[in-house]
Amino acid sequence: MIDLLTTHYNYIASILLVGIGLYVVMGSPNLVRKVIGMNIFQVGIFLFFVTTGYVDGGVPPIVGHTEGPIVSPLPHVLILTAIVVGVSLTAVALALIVRIYNGYGSLDEDVIKEVQVDD
Amino acid sequence: MTDVQLTLFALLLAFVIFAALAAAFLRDILSAIIAFAGFSFGIALVYVLLRAPDVALTEAAVGAGVTTVLFLLTIVRTVRPGGDRLFERIKWGPAAVATVLVGVLLTTVSSLPRIGDPNSPVATSEVTRYYLENAYPQTDVENVVTAVLAAYRGFDTLGEAAVVLAAGIAVLVVLRKEVYV
Repeated sequence: MIDLLTTHYNYIASILLVGIGLYVVMGSPNLVRKVIGMNIFQVGIFLFFVTTGYVDGGVPPIVGHTEGPIVSPLPHVLILTAIVVGVSLTAVALALIVRIYNGYGSLDEDVIKEVQVDD
Repeated sequence: MTDVQLTLFALLLAFVIFAALAAAFLRDILSAIIAFAGFSFGIALVYVLLRAPDVALTEAAVGAGVTTVLFLLTIVRTVRPGGDRLFERIKWGPAAVATVLVGVLLTTVSSLPRIGDPNSPVATSEVTRYYLENAYPQTDVENVVTAVLAAYRGFDTLGEAAVVLAAGIAVLVVLRKEVYV
């Protein structure tokens, strides 16, 4: 187990981030914080992907200037796309939250449920 | 990997997880957003150590920059719930679910190749080898990430642009000024 900490530390960190993100999405009543949790969850997965591309002593995937091993560019490309899509998701979620606030006067999901029941 | 790098990694990852926990549990939502910005910047530094400069730049500009601005604009237009307590209370139900997920995922870690293994499936993949060997001769772009993003996977990037366009339209539609019923 201690060996894993020195050889697989990034994977462990990404799993912890996924756990923190899931907890925030489920446990926080505040809608803005739920979106923060979703972002933390995403970053956990991004970290996992980028780590898989790393090679010991590797150089960034820019060819023609250096010798030696080069890290795999493929995870980087996928994660670049995913980061931009994640920001789009965040923007739409936050816009919906602003609209929900205009309608219900609160960002607390328990209060919003009560208002819905009263209607 | 040398000991210095390993120590650097450990410190950065500890900072990142600490910042994520701060974003999760700080009661004041503005503090949580600032902690999240620090978290994004820390993760960008981790990407630099993993030799992914393109991802690091994007994460620093988009994750730490644009996302933070979006969050700040949101709390400007809504409320910033405060309170006398510094931290949120822990909710045990969701915490149990998250702990179970973390536990299950941790059992899979030992079967992954170690970090930096030159014989890992990703490093020895046919796709990786093809891109590294052919990207420059075929596209005349030295940065392989750019070559793959703009040339080999150009349609994917077009789809990404379509997603951003759709998101922009959705935000405009949702926030359009009208008389709320």
